Amino acid sequence: MFKKQAKRLALWGGGTLAAVWAGLANAGIFWIFDPKGTMADTNLHYMIIDVVIMGAIVGITALLVIWFMWKYSKGKNRGKYDAHWSHSNTLEVLVWGIPIIAVGFLAYFAVKGTFEINPYNPTVITKHMAPKGDPVHVDVIATDWQWLFIYPQYHMAVANELVLPVHTPVFFRLTSTAVTSGFFIPQLVGMIDVMPGMRTKNALESDRIGVYQGIASDYAGAGTSWMTFPTKMVSKEDFQNWVSKVQTSPKTMTYASFNRFAEPYINVNHRVVYFSNVESGIFDHLMMEVMHGKTWPLPPAMTENMVAYMQKQAAEHRD
Amino acid sequence: MLVQVPGGWNPLLGRLAIDQIPYTNPILAPLFVAVVIGGIILLGLITYYQKWGYLWKEWLTTVDHKKLGVMYIILGLVMLFRGFIDGLMIRTQQVWANGPQSSGVFGAVHGYLTPFHFGQVYSAHGLIMILLAATPLLVGFMNIIVPLQVGARDMAYPYLNALGLWITAAAVALIMISLFVGDFAHNGWFGYAPIFELQYSPGVGVDYWIWTLELTALGTTLGGINLIATIVKMRAPGMTWFRLPIFTWASLSANIIALTSFPALQVALFLVACDRYFGSHFFTAGFGGNLMLYTNLFWLWGHPEVYFVILPAFGMMSEIFPAFSEKPLFGYITMVAASFAIAGVSWLVWLHHFFTMGAGPEVNSFFSVATMLVGIPTGVKVFNWAFTMYRGRITYTAAMLWAIGALFLLLVGGLTGMMLAIPAINYMVHNSVFVIAHFHSMLLVIVYAIFGSVLFWFPKVFGFKLDEFWAKTMFWLFSAGTVLVFVPMYMLGFMGQTRRLDYVFNTAWHPYLVTEEIGIAVYCLSVAAFFVLLYVSIRDRVKNRVGQDAWGTSRSLEWLTHSPVPFYNFAVTPHVNARDELAWRRHNGINEAQPTQYVDIHMPNNTGVAIYIGALTFVLGFALTWRVWWLCLLSLVAIIVLMIVRSWRGDPGYIITAAELEKMEREAMQRQQQVEGHLPHHGGHAVPSGAMAYEGQKVSPLGTPPSSGDHH
Repeated sequence: MFKKQAKRLALWGGGTLAAVWAGLANAGIFWIFDPKGTMADTNLHYMIIDVVIMGAIVGITALLVIWFMWKYSKGKNRGKYDAHWSHSNTLEVLVWGIPIIAVGFLAYFAVKGTFEINPYNPTVITKHMAPKGDPVHVDVIATDWQWLFIYPQYHMAVANELVLPVHTPVFFRLTSTAVTSGFFIPQLVGMIDVMPGMRTKNALESDRIGVYQGIASDYAGAGTSWMTFPTKMVSKEDFQNWVSKVQTSPKTMTYASFNRFAEPYINVNHRVVYFSNVESGIFDHLMMEVMHGKTWPLPPAMTENMVAYMQKQAAEHRD
Repeated sequence: MLVQVPGGWNPLLGRLAIDQIPYTNPILAPLFVAVVIGGIILLGLITYYQKWGYLWKEWLTTVDHKKLGVMYIILGLVMLFRGFIDGLMIRTQQVWANGPQSSGVFGAVHGYLTPFHFGQVYSAHGLIMILLAATPLLVGFMNIIVPLQVGARDMAYPYLNALGLWITAAAVALIMISLFVGDFAHNGWFGYAPIFELQYSPGVGVDYWIWTLELTALGTTLGGINLIATIVKMRAPGMTWFRLPIFTWASLSANIIALTSFPALQVALFLVACDRYFGSHFFTAGFGGNLMLYTNLFWLWGHPEVYFVILPAFGMMSEIFPAFSEKPLFGYITMVAASFAIAGVSWLVWLHHFFTMGAGPEVNSFFSVATMLVGIPTGVKVFNWAFTMYRGRITYTAAMLWAIGALFLLLVGGLTGMMLAIPAINYMVHNSVFVIAHFHSMLLVIVYAIFGSVLFWFPKVFGFKLDEFWAKTMFWLFSAGTVLVFVPMYMLGFMGQTRRLDYVFNTAWHPYLVTEEIGIAVYCLSVAAFFVLLYVSIRDRVKNRVGQDAWGTSRSLEWLTHSPVPFYNFAVTPHVNARDELAWRRHNGINEAQPTQYVDIHMPNNTGVAIYIGALTFVLGFALTWRVWWLCLLSLVAIIVLMIVRSWRGDPGYIITAAELEKMEREAMQRQQQVEGHLPHHGGHAVPSGAMAYEGQKVSPLGTPPSSGDHH
């Protein structure tokens, strides 16, 4: 009786949860399954190949185990018992052969995919680029704990918001001031590490207008959780209008003012700042300085008992 | 030469100061009071029942591999609980601090943990679960079972064995004291360069992390040396390599990994310590430092370590499946080959922990394919367990349920592992909670195998079985918790949730976070069921007593001696005739054959040196953390002096005479008679010619206890 009730409860509970989940899934919250750009499309393509092949093997194995569990259960007399059977050449060939073939098959796709979305030269983008595709270049700098996106072609920069035109290849150069973090826009492009004194690259292209979440995907200290940034894919005209708007921002940026910007700051209120007339070469200047030993030390107040610091920052925001 | 540290320092106390004790912290202060009260009660009880002498003589100074193993396992279970509480705190923070409208208490903007405190909790969770829970639990089992399975009286180096335990215990003490004195690291369990450098972590947390890791690495390396020596040199006569029980094979492959990989960790951490103490620039961003070098060095150890913990778990499963299928393991030789294939490939895959570092596609391709190769021997193992059940006679004991649970988790972990091995997929889910769910699937394989082994081998060590009903209740609750926590976590990974978020910005994830929290609550119930299991089993211990072969279907050598195992393991070293020796003897009707004569045996003495050195390594770690230089020097000198003195004196050991042995064996057999209701007797089957039950003794029928030979 109790068992039956428990079973019913489990069924109902499971069903309800599944329904809730399914409902939310329709809202497109499974970002990895809902890519909006060439790079993310390719990621999903390989995920499907892998899951189909491995899923088949794992699924069949699971069914086999369940069948054996049922058939050879003691006292049920469903299957023949053989106290000594422990070897079969045919089965040995199968148990080694199936994984070897599967791995060989997947290895081909793994290598192919690695080259296709190689962050330094993603052939899915570069191969189909028009000769005069006019790509947009963005220099990404992660600070403790904000993002600065410098558009060197337009001599402007934006903090904590990324705006890009559709149908245009975008090439990123990335570095960091103080510590390591990760640059990640789940629906557009996979993760790439952002490291101080080092330069990584990435790229993306999208033909779908929309706002996509950007995330700092690697732990960089206390403010990491708030290092999120909206990524707006807009039409080419809207992009030009937006560029003109940013270029009229009263705030400007030199390497000296960049240094002040890069002071530790937890972006709890998601402030977005536009900079015009940005001095060129900030990215390379920063790289060089970090390699020569520049750091942005954190005061103990920001690494031990965060309470006092968080209160101070909250108070500053009220002004 | 030494770097200046922010904050105060004085020659007497180093960085220690009263403000380093978090007495104002609303979570830690009450916990501290509870720990102190609990500690006083415990010490009071030991004093009241006058158990200090017993504790010292029988446990703290012992060199008996079984008692050391039991202490390893208790240590591991305590830390498993501590790690679980950390996990509970992580899940609670994430479900609470979800969305900009979520409330905050105790000074946190959202939730109840400030970012830095949250960082410490998950760093401690990871470090504890892998190095101070899983590792001691597995080392404990290897300690107990391996000497029994090879037919030895003890480990090759009993004193070294005790030393390994007490150094591991020192590491545990160090991480526990970081709760109440200073901070722990916030840089994740594996550490990020350069966030662990002094500029970005000025407190003592990272120093605690360094020395805890160094001590546990040292302890585990010592254990590895011992286990390898035991397996290679201490096998009973007739125990050829291909008669070795499969768990022992797994232990051998695992400890070869440990012995070769832990030094890489020790060197990497030593370099981190150089950066923090001497101001060198191994892993800084500037001055020629290379921060990704640290990541490479760490995972050069870190990935082999993953297989160091999973291989013994596979070995445990390979023992449980045949015992409850009443059949030999399918494909023994390929199982051994698969273990060593995994161990070998483990050296070639470390870079898959950071495909996103930005290495070229050639490098990533190499490590991708190498990683997928691991899937081949692992797949073979899964198939072999399945075919062990095939044509078997399966009894669904609780131990078997845990082993089957482990098998299914391995399928899930394998599927997701093959996804992560492909960089094109990895870029999307690396550092997401999908990875967390994947490696928890794999680590839960280990936890399942361990709980299965606790049930399977408990009667061997303590002489009575654990209660099946509560063991199964615990299994089902634990499995329900696993599903409720990790299915939503996999889904959240596909939704793009990254790991280590102390504030979760997306409210659309809320239902899934809530489901995970419910799963944690179910885990709490399974922990409660575990305590009930222990209580009920100990209460009914007389009723549940067992003889030598606790399950009636056991197969390997450890089931040939009494339960509980006497301190000398085997009165007379058994002679091994076949791969599954006990199954072979049972088949031939000589499974209860007793030795015809006893001879004197030589045993090692207890020693207090191991626990003294363990305590001193704790003092050394603590002094290094707080930069109390005089204490560092003092404890280091004391350790070296103790080691020299001990080496000088050596251990002559002592002799158990044949007469004493006979008396103890007679008593043990009487106890067994009470349990099984008859005296050991010869089954009367035809015994193959050339068979030998004990060293130098032909098989002979026995109804009466043997004479003790010429040692009177």
